[in-house]
Amino acid sequence: MNYDQPELLDKLAAEYVLGTLRGRARRRFEQVLSTHQAAQSAVQAWEDRLGRLASSVAPVKPPDRVWAAIDAKLRPTPRASAKKRAGWLDWLKPVAGFAFGAVLTVGLVLNDPSRFVSVDEVAQSKQALPQSYVGLLVNEAGEPTLLASSTRQGRRLTVKFLRPVDAGGKVLQLWALPKEGAPFPVGVVTPAKPPASTTLELRDTSEKLFSNVPRLAVSFEDAPAAPGTLPSGSFVLAGHCVKLW
Amino acid sequence: MADSASLQQDLSRAALGDRAAFERVYRATSAHLFGVALRILNRRDLAEDALQEAFVNVWHNAGSYQAAASQPMTWLIAIVRNKALDYLRAAQRHAADSLDEVDEDGSTIEVADERPNPMQLLMQATDGLRIRGCMEKLDASHRQSLALAYYHGLSHSEVAEQMRAPLGSVKAWVRRGLERLKKCLEAAG
Repeated sequence: MNYDQPELLDKLAAEYVLGTLRGRARRRFEQVLSTHQAAQSAVQAWEDRLGRLASSVAPVKPPDRVWAAIDAKLRPTPRASAKKRAGWLDWLKPVAGFAFGAVLTVGLVLNDPSRFVSVDEVAQSKQALPQSYVGLLVNEAGEPTLLASSTRQGRRLTVKFLRPVDAGGKVLQLWALPKEGAPFPVGVVTPAKPPASTTLELRDTSEKLFSNVPRLAVSFEDAPAAPGTLPSGSFVLAGHCVKLW
Repeated sequence: MADSASLQQDLSRAALGDRAAFERVYRATSAHLFGVALRILNRRDLAEDALQEAFVNVWHNAGSYQAAASQPMTWLIAIVRNKALDYLRAAQRHAADSLDEVDEDGSTIEVADERPNPMQLLMQATDGLRIRGCMEKLDASHRQSLALAYYHGLSHSEVAEQMRAPLGSVKAWVRRGLERLKKCLEAAG
């Protein structure tokens, strides 16, 4: 079938949204939908047109067990997931979306370190940057927001603000997301105006803390997180943590 | 029901993994969406399952919702209707299979349909909207076949059965009904 004919596409989209497109034809059209921009727009337009018909359907409150079942499917409760590793995979799902921006910008840092480190420092090191852990955290739009770095044996983490972060009066809690197990709090990031940097003291060397940590993330908390606690809500920033050597 | 702007905001937070925002989306919309699923499925257990799966999808796909492209409620209704239609087909297949096995004398099982009349729903939905004028301009047969398909999730042949009309005519009514509706809505701007 030729899906590039706008009229045919529109007819299929209409019957798809109405629900009268059935069986194999529906499955085929769904496949087209996943890649075909024009088909997506046509379906969206029909959803707009027909969607208003749903307004007259009387609301019926679903029983509480429906939400309970949804809730259970999203991720286990923090207590349960601390014991069960697989639970954290679900939990990290939103973080996966951040990956592209992070990889891209880590590439930038490596190709042009002078963008983030002073020219003198680069000159001193002659060829290579000091052995460091570097994390680039991006916001929900995938924009690089924080650059965290610490030398391998250092006990201080430098956080450079690439973009302003509005915590709305809360604290910016930095978390390390290890390969296995639950996130652990790293420290609180003092807000600064881009492109300024702030530092935070680590309770151990970077090597000890980050050698098994592929990701970092930031959540907004009412108070600094105590060791052993978990984020109260979702991450607002997240990104990869890589070794620079 | 929550207003569009706060729903939009909560959906984008849910995309970032904010469970509280996601729960707000559920609280604000689930009764309406459950109503929609129930109209189509006419069975509470199936409608509950469909709603549940639809919301799990919403959680995982909240990032793909584009605020610029459609209203949050329109997007949610589409997801729930699609899920309900999937369940309806699965239930019908299942029913057909078990009829083959059990119902040897060929008699059909009549299930009482207590859903409101789809034509009534259609007229209520269009009350005060410009789509009303467009619906009223359609032939009655076009209007009725659209309403049966939309609210009850009926297929062409099921609409034909219900309206006691030939399948070919129903297909044409649906097609023309949709075409005319679109033209009319476009003309109305």
